[in-house]
Amino acid sequence: MQTIVKGDSALINTLAELCPAEGVSHTEDQDGNAQHWFKLSSPDKLIAAASALKDKAARLSLISGYVRQDTDEADGKLFAACYHFVLDGCVYNVTANTTKEMPYVPTITSYFVNADWHEREMMELVGVKVQNQPNPTRLFLDTELEPGVIGSYIPLSVMMNGACTKDLWEHILGSKEVK
Amino acid sequence: MENLAKKRNLIMNQTLVERVCSLCSNSHAFTYAMVVENALGIQIPERAKYMRTLAEEIKRVASHLFTLAIQAHLCGFDSLFMHVMEVREQMQDVKETLFGNRMNLSFNCIGGTKFDLEQENLDFLMQTLDKVDPQVTEITDIFETDPMICNRIVGTGILPKEDALRLGVVGPVARGSGLALDVRKESPYAAYDKVSFQLITRDGCDLYARTCVRLHEITESIRIIRQIVQDMPSGEYRTHMTKIFPSEAVARTEAPRGEVIYYIRTNNTEIPERLKWRVPSYMNWEALGVMLRNAKVADAALITNTIDPCVSCTER
Repeated sequence: MQTIVKGDSALINTLAELCPAEGVSHTEDQDGNAQHWFKLSSPDKLIAAASALKDKAARLSLISGYVRQDTDEADGKLFAACYHFVLDGCVYNVTANTTKEMPYVPTITSYFVNADWHEREMMELVGVKVQNQPNPTRLFLDTELEPGVIGSYIPLSVMMNGACTKDLWEHILGSKEVK
Repeated sequence: MENLAKKRNLIMNQTLVERVCSLCSNSHAFTYAMVVENALGIQIPERAKYMRTLAEEIKRVASHLFTLAIQAHLCGFDSLFMHVMEVREQMQDVKETLFGNRMNLSFNCIGGTKFDLEQENLDFLMQTLDKVDPQVTEITDIFETDPMICNRIVGTGILPKEDALRLGVVGPVARGSGLALDVRKESPYAAYDKVSFQLITRDGCDLYARTCVRLHEITESIRIIRQIVQDMPSGEYRTHMTKIFPSEAVARTEAPRGEVIYYIRTNNTEIPERLKWRVPSYMNWEALGVMLRNAKVADAALITNTIDPCVSCTER
């Protein structure tokens, strides 16, 4: 029986060309809404994927960064970034895996302005490196904290820049004295 | 919280995610349950789909009324603030009667709902709606026509349609700028494909447009609730999770503030490898940069309120 894949077939074909054959799959949620999955053959293919999605007026909904569990420790910490786009009720999930040779993902802010917060959060919480991010400042966390803190236990007072203790006022007074 | 989610099993995370936010707590519990079900291929009973939809729309009515009440307060119309909160209080009573809680309903679970709803309580819901419905009509008329409100909100906090598109805003903020975005319509889930309701949009791009969207969405939510109670099938309300395996999935719902999306990666253990979510306020904050441009300082709080911001959701 032929399987009918819901979604924009031209876009699906374009994204599939950026992936190895085993890197493409199509699923449906419990209510029959299509979810397409694309694992790019290398992180630099992300630019072509973003461009194709932008041309179709897709909307960037979320970027999920995570530490890859399927790698050897000898390769060091490798990451994945899954970009979730919505177009006509279908979700297009595009995953870029960082490698030893290419340990970063390129920014897609020139295609999707709203990628800015997602990329910055992924940098500071997960530790994913984003190449050419135009605004690489901290979004939530104090600059004294190392990137990739999602796996660490950090006291709330430190995490929140001392906002729940007198440290906050010491920070503010300290910065005034410097000026 | 996303780190905590990687330390707890799938069932324990149901309790955790409901605490991301108070006002849209149900949307988190709902979407989380859906994302696990999508990943593990769980089909929930039809009655559970209806009951989940019911809970979500009750929360939407209460949430929109709360925002509108705050808006009245920020306009200096405190008697309207108290009146709207009084109307909302009836929906709080509904939540307490049906679910036992006024904020965190603790109703959704993986596979359906934690308990069934009794007919006696559904009758109370319908009686309450009979009282709330005309009060909402009255409130709508005041917000849409009273000069004390309109003089503050017409032409204030403009978010042009092209900026709304560019920034990827969602929910009533998007719909008030003419974008027909609503997950309930574009990717129907739960029982939303079984009910008839209108997608409310306005082209004004200002505070007035966003206010109208929320007001008329309350009326539509009441319509949905009435249909759900009338058409709800009998039968089972929960199915069980039988196996966990490596998978990944997303789930989206339309919370009162807009699209909520969850992503999950599971492995062969009961603890998720990654659980990530994004709330509507996260997408809407940047729009304030456009809305507040050249605005009066006196309007800053009013404009900020128009995105119905949720800091706890955004920060996690």
